[in-house]
Amino acid sequence: MKTGILTKPEIQELFSSMITKNGEESRIFVPATIEGRVILEEFSPEREIFYDFANFLRPPKGIFFPQREVLCSFEQERAVEVPPAAGRIIIFGIRPCDARSFLFLDKIFSAGSSGFADPYYLGRRENSVIISLSCIEPSEGCFCTSLGGGPGDESGSDIVAFDLGDRLLFEAHSAKGENFIEENTTEFRQPDAADQNAKKESLQAAFNAISRISTDGLVEKLDDDFSDSFWEEITATCLGCGVCTYLCPTCHCFDITDEKDRDGTGTRVRTWDSCQYPLFTMHASGHNPRAEKKQRMRQRIMHKFSYTPRTTGDVFCVGCGRCVRKCPVNLDIREVIRKINGE
Amino acid sequence: MQNPYMPSPVTIEQIDIENDLKDIKTFRLKFEREEDSRRFNYKPGQFAELSLFGFGESPIGIASSPTEEGYLLFSIKKTGTVTSELHNSEQGRKMGIRGPFGNSFPWDRMKGKNIVIVSGGFAFTTLRSAIIYMMDARNRGDYKNITAVYGARSPGEFLYKKELKKWQQSEDIDLTLTIDRQAEEEWDGSVGLVPSVLKDVSPSAENSIALVCGPPVMIHFTVPVLLELGFRKEDIILSLENRMKCGIGKCGRCNIGHKYVCVDGPVFTFSELEKLQTE
Repeated sequence: MKTGILTKPEIQELFSSMITKNGEESRIFVPATIEGRVILEEFSPEREIFYDFANFLRPPKGIFFPQREVLCSFEQERAVEVPPAAGRIIIFGIRPCDARSFLFLDKIFSAGSSGFADPYYLGRRENSVIISLSCIEPSEGCFCTSLGGGPGDESGSDIVAFDLGDRLLFEAHSAKGENFIEENTTEFRQPDAADQNAKKESLQAAFNAISRISTDGLVEKLDDDFSDSFWEEITATCLGCGVCTYLCPTCHCFDITDEKDRDGTGTRVRTWDSCQYPLFTMHASGHNPRAEKKQRMRQRIMHKFSYTPRTTGDVFCVGCGRCVRKCPVNLDIREVIRKINGE
Repeated sequence: MQNPYMPSPVTIEQIDIENDLKDIKTFRLKFEREEDSRRFNYKPGQFAELSLFGFGESPIGIASSPTEEGYLLFSIKKTGTVTSELHNSEQGRKMGIRGPFGNSFPWDRMKGKNIVIVSGGFAFTTLRSAIIYMMDARNRGDYKNITAVYGARSPGEFLYKKELKKWQQSEDIDLTLTIDRQAEEEWDGSVGLVPSVLKDVSPSAENSIALVCGPPVMIHFTVPVLLELGFRKEDIILSLENRMKCGIGKCGRCNIGHKYVCVDGPVFTFSELEKLQTE
């Protein structure tokens, strides 16, 4: 495994030099504060990388799967292809849970799942480098370790970086990651025993702070036909706002709509959509297979914990805890799973 | 990489009003580019996403058969935004098409079998495709007896009246048409709901496969009749509809359990659906 140490000012310099390098343009996304909020923002040399945060409010999926994107434009009655923007994308500083979510989204948008590849998502994703930042202080609501993740988990990351205070330890976990360290090898210093110890200590502290649920045999348990009243009870306080799905790093459902100007030109756009809305499944005839809130909640839970395990082999939840923290009525997905477990 | 979201340009060559209510029209579409036409390889039972730019897309079953070369047929009921705008369209209008999508009727399994077709109302479209396909001289030898029961509310509500007339006179297919109740206009077919007429026709289940397309209530009462006639659950073939957007198993809305109607369907066997029934 290739490793390396950089001080925080050195990272700032490294990214500044990478925006345009060897004639190739890169878009680099880093944690930054804007008006007191920590967001994943496009890097420029003037922008200071921010390290003191738990996680971003929004998941990073929008970089590869934008909340709104044009699929094609049209003039009169003809469609004109709008190719996705080219160029390398470097994402630095997302948490390991969010990096892991990319592996799941990859399965949805590649040809594997249905025989059709999504050129918009893959066009961005294939030319990307993911450098995640291990967790130091997990938030309330985090439960990544129950779902196969962890504060320093490498799945989905080309490189995992560990914050050791004034410096970062980088560990490459893919060929892309190794290349990245190789290309910039003069900048990196080799880690010593003190660095490795500091890494271990920070990881253990984070690990201990993360809440746990049991997901053993969950897929099989969900095979049991839970009664309507089970879902009704769980959904009783739900407002149907859909924030759990918008903030979920693995939720990927979308709508396609046309926007037309008076002169007959316009665009066909793809936007994030949510299974929590009744219109999501309503037929033109008025019939709606998921007309009720409890059916829609069931869909959300089943999609993540039963359907995708069957179709892709993965539980589509990374335990980032966003839906737990941001639900306006404190509907906690961990509690739902505990109830399914019969706890 | 082929972009599955890009519609291919087509022109509406012909529009036929199908029924007395005038809310179902059949659109004949022709590809503008020869290569798109060649690439659009389909089997009866599949569907396509039809695009009217500025209005959106609609998933519609293909009513033509691949044996009818040079054009595609779609019979469309005026219902939502896209289909209403289609009904307002005139011959010559340009539009878009994506597809073909979904599985098809199980053509491999159907070879050498008796085929029983049961349909009601407007859902006959992909079955027209199936019948035309099997009746084609190149294919007819692959199937044994073809028996069809097709019902409509009144004589004016049958689709494809020209073809129905031809099939009634053909020895290659045994077609029974039925209307829900006695009509004022002249009618020499059966009277009664599809399930009970099917019982009267009583097709043998021996070496047979049944294709059933119709409104949910018809399917609900037809399946028990077929089971009673001795059809195995896996030999009862149904076609489903759900709201769709992408048509390629990504947008997440047309699922029934862990199956997507757009890519795993729209055609399912009754035994498959029974397992998904809790959904």
